[in-house]
Amino acid sequence: MIGLRAGISIAIAVVLCAALAAIGFAAHSAVERTIVPAIAAQAESVGRSAAALIENAVTAGVPLDKLVGVNAYLDGLERANVELADLKLVTPDGRILGHAGTPPADPDPPTVITSVTARSGIPLASLIITIDPGVVSSQVHALLVDVAFIGLVSLLVALELVALVVGASSTEALAALEARVRALSRGRLWLHTDAAEKSPLVMPIDAQVARLHERHAHAREAAERRGDTGALVDLDAIGARFGLGAVHAGENHAATIIRPALFLFMMAEELARPFLPRLAGSMATPDLNIGRDLAMSLPIVVFMAVVALSQLPFAVLSERLGRRRGFVLGAAIAALSYVGSALTDHFGLFLVSRATAAIGYALVFVSAQGHVVDLSRPQERTAALAVFVRAIMVAGLCGPPIGGVLADRLGDHAAFLGSAVLAVLGLLVAYFTMPRSQPLTGGAGVGLSDLRAALGAPRLAALLLGCALPAKFLLVAVCFYLVPVELQNQGYSAAAIGRLQMIYPVLMVIGVPIAAHFADRLNARAAFVTAGGLIAGSGTLLLLVGTSPVIVALVLALLGLGQALSIAPQSSMVAEAARHVPGGRSAGVLGLFRLIERTGNATGPAAAGFLLAVAGFASASTLIGLFAVAGALGFALTGTGRRKADSSGPTALSSEGTAS
Amino acid sequence: MIRISLGLILVFALIAAACVAFGAYFSYVTLQTAHRKAIEARFNVTAARIAVSAETAASLGITLPAQAPLADLARREARLDPTIISIDITDERNRVLFSSDPDRIGRADGARAPGTVSRAVENDLAAVIGRIVVRYDPATLAQGEAALARDLTAIAMPALIGAGLATIAIGLLLANGLGRAARRAADPALWPPAARSALAEAEAAHAAAINPAALASTGPKGERT
Repeated sequence: MIGLRAGISIAIAVVLCAALAAIGFAAHSAVERTIVPAIAAQAESVGRSAAALIENAVTAGVPLDKLVGVNAYLDGLERANVELADLKLVTPDGRILGHAGTPPADPDPPTVITSVTARSGIPLASLIITIDPGVVSSQVHALLVDVAFIGLVSLLVALELVALVVGASSTEALAALEARVRALSRGRLWLHTDAAEKSPLVMPIDAQVARLHERHAHAREAAERRGDTGALVDLDAIGARFGLGAVHAGENHAATIIRPALFLFMMAEELARPFLPRLAGSMATPDLNIGRDLAMSLPIVVFMAVVALSQLPFAVLSERLGRRRGFVLGAAIAALSYVGSALTDHFGLFLVSRATAAIGYALVFVSAQGHVVDLSRPQERTAALAVFVRAIMVAGLCGPPIGGVLADRLGDHAAFLGSAVLAVLGLLVAYFTMPRSQPLTGGAGVGLSDLRAALGAPRLAALLLGCALPAKFLLVAVCFYLVPVELQNQGYSAAAIGRLQMIYPVLMVIGVPIAAHFADRLNARAAFVTAGGLIAGSGTLLLLVGTSPVIVALVLALLGLGQALSIAPQSSMVAEAARHVPGGRSAGVLGLFRLIERTGNATGPAAAGFLLAVAGFASASTLIGLFAVAGALGFALTGTGRRKADSSGPTALSSEGTAS
Repeated sequence: MIRISLGLILVFALIAAACVAFGAYFSYVTLQTAHRKAIEARFNVTAARIAVSAETAASLGITLPAQAPLADLARREARLDPTIISIDITDERNRVLFSSDPDRIGRADGARAPGTVSRAVENDLAAVIGRIVVRYDPATLAQGEAALARDLTAIAMPALIGAGLATIAIGLLLANGLGRAARRAADPALWPPAARSALAEAEAAHAAAINPAALASTGPKGERT
C-alpha cells in the first residue's frame, strides 16, 4: 500500500517529469528558432568581413585573380570558426580562386553567400561559406542536455522540499495512520507506539488491535495455567508471525529530520562553487605577488584544510554541545562568514571569511552526522547515513547551477548573500526540527591513545585505510583531476567535461539509498563495501582499452556505481565500530574517519599530477584504480580471517560490523 | 486529519508548480546565456581580426598608440555590421586610442561594460598592451531574449498550472484511498485479506488455547489454522 506521503512524492516526480519534458520540448523549438540563426549570423559576419578585405585589395589595384594567400586566409578563417566547414571564393564564371575546408556530408547544408563587388557595383566574385550542420546540432544537443540537467535539478529540489514537508511534525498523525494501514495490509497486527496524538481515525484501529492483543495475552495465560505447551508454542508462533504481543516503534525519523536542514546548508556552500575561483582571482591585486592561479585556488585550499583539520576536534565539540546546538552554531558561523565574503573586497579578509565558513561547515557536518548516528537504530543506520549522504550529494548537484545564475544576475559578491540566506534557512529548519540538544557532560576529549585503541578494533583500520582513503583518493584523482585534464587535452570544452562529470553524482544520488536499503536488509554491509571498492577501482582498467569520451563515461559510471554501493555501508560500519572505542565514545572515531577521507581528497590531485607526468593518463588512472582494488581486497581478507576467528570464540564486532 | 491531508496536498501542489517555474526560469537563463554567446561570437570574430592586425604591427615594433590605420580598420569593420555601435581600440588602462566613433577617443569606459565584447591585444611577450572593444546594439540581444521568453512561457504556464492541478487531483485520490483504508481498518471484518487471514488464524489459536475441549470435539488440531 502506498501512503499519501509516498504516493504524492511519486506523483510529484512523475508530474514534474512530464512538465519539465514539455519545457524541454519548448526549449528545443526556441533554440531552433532563435539560437541556430544566431550561429548562422556568425558565418555571415565572417563572409562580410572577408569580402570587404578582398574588395579593398581590388580597389587598391590588385586584380582579383592575382591575389596571393587567399587559400591561407580562408584556411585561417575556417580554423578560427568551428561552425564553418567549407569556404570558397568563386568568380561569376565558376572559377575557384580560393578554397579551404571540406564540404560536410549533409546533402543540403546551410550556406551563406556574400558578394564581392567592385566600387562600381559590378559583381566580381562570391564568397560561399558552408556551415557544418553537425557542429550546429552538437551545440544544440549540448544546450538541450543542459536544459535536461536543469530539469533534474528542479526535480531534486522538489523532492527535497517534499521531504521537508513530509518530515514536519504536523504530519505525524498522518504518518501514524499510514503506518497502521500499511501494517494491516501486510498482515501485521502489532501495536504502535507513535508519539503522535491519537487522531479520530487512528483510535478505532488501535482499539481493535489492542483488544486482539488482550485476547492473545489472555489465551497465553490460559495455556500457561493449564501447562499446555503445545498451545503455547502455537500462540508464540502466531504471535511471531503476525506481531501479536509485539510493539512497533514506528518510523525512525533521525535522518529524515536532518535531511532538509542539511540540504539547505550544504547548498549554501555549493552555490559558490562556480564563481569562487573567478571572484578570488579578481580580488587578488598585483601587489600581492602570488599570481592569479594561486589566488584562485587559495580560498579553496584554505577551506578544505580547515574542514579537514576541524573534523577530529569538532566531532568531540559537537558531542559536548549537543547536536542541535552544534548544527545551529555552525550554520550561524557560516552565514556570518558568507555575509563577510559578500561585503569584502580585500583578498586577505576574503580568505579569513572562507576559513570561518569552513569552521561553520565542519561543525554542521559533524553535528548532522552525529545526529544520524546517535539516533538511528543499528539495523537502520546504513539507510539513515544514506539519507545523510544523499542530502549532501543532491546539494552538490543543485547548488552550482543556481549559484552560477545568481552570480550572473546579481554579481559574485551578492551571490554570497544567497549563500547566507540559505545557511540561515538551514539553521532555522534545524532549530525547529531537530530534537533538543542533550550535551554530553563530563566527557573528556578523545586522545591519541583512544584513537590507537579504536584502530585496534577488528577491521576498522582495514576499513579506513583500505576502503575510505582509497575511495576519496580515487574519486578526486580520477573524476576531478585526471578526467578533466585528459578531456581538455583531447579538445573538449569545459561545459562538455562538466556534463560528463555529472555522471558520478547523478548515479550516487540514485544509487546510494537503494544500495543502503539492500545492505541493511541483507545484513551485508562489508560485502557492499568490498564490492563497491572493487567495481569503482577496476572500472579504471577500461582506460587501457582506450580513452574516448564513451570509455571515460563508463569509467565514471562504474566509479559512481561502486561508490554508491559502498559509501553508506562504510560510514555505518565505522559508526558501529566506533561504539567499541574504550568508553563507548564515537565522536573521535568518526572524526578520524572523516579526517582520513579528507586526506584522500587532499592527496589525490597531487599524486595524480605526479603519476600523469610519469605514466600518462590511462596508466595513472589504472594505477590509482588498482590501489582502490587492493584496498578493498585487503579489507575483504581481514573479514576472512575474522570469520575463522569467530568460529573459535566470541568477539566484539561481527564481520558485518554489528555487535555480537 | 482531513485538514492535514488537504493542507499537505495544497503544499505539494505549490511545490510542484514552484519547481516547474524554477525549471522554466533556469532553462530560460540557460538559453539566454547560449543566445548571448552565439550573438557575441560574431563580434568576437570581428575583435579578433582587428587584434591580430594590431599584434602583427606591434611585433614589428609599432606601439599601439602609433597604429593610426587601426581607426580606418575599425570604421570599416563597424560599417559591415549594422548592429555594431562602435569599435574601440584602447590602451592597457582602457583609454580609447582609436575608435570607429571619433567622439569616443580619450574616454575610459572599461572593457566589461554590458553590451560589449572585448579581446586583449598582446605583445610578443604575451603582455596585454591594449584591448579591442566592440560595443553592440542591446536590441540585438533583447529581440532574441524576448523570443526565447515567449516560447518558454507559452509552454511553462500551462505546464505549471497542469502540474499543480495534477498534484491536487492525485493527492485527493490518494487521500480518499487512505481515508477509505482507515475506515476499513477500524472494522476487522473489512480488514485487508492478509490482516483478515492473520486475525482468523490468531482467533483460532486463541480459541484452542482457551477451550481445547471445544476444539477437540470440532476436529483435529491441524484444522485450527
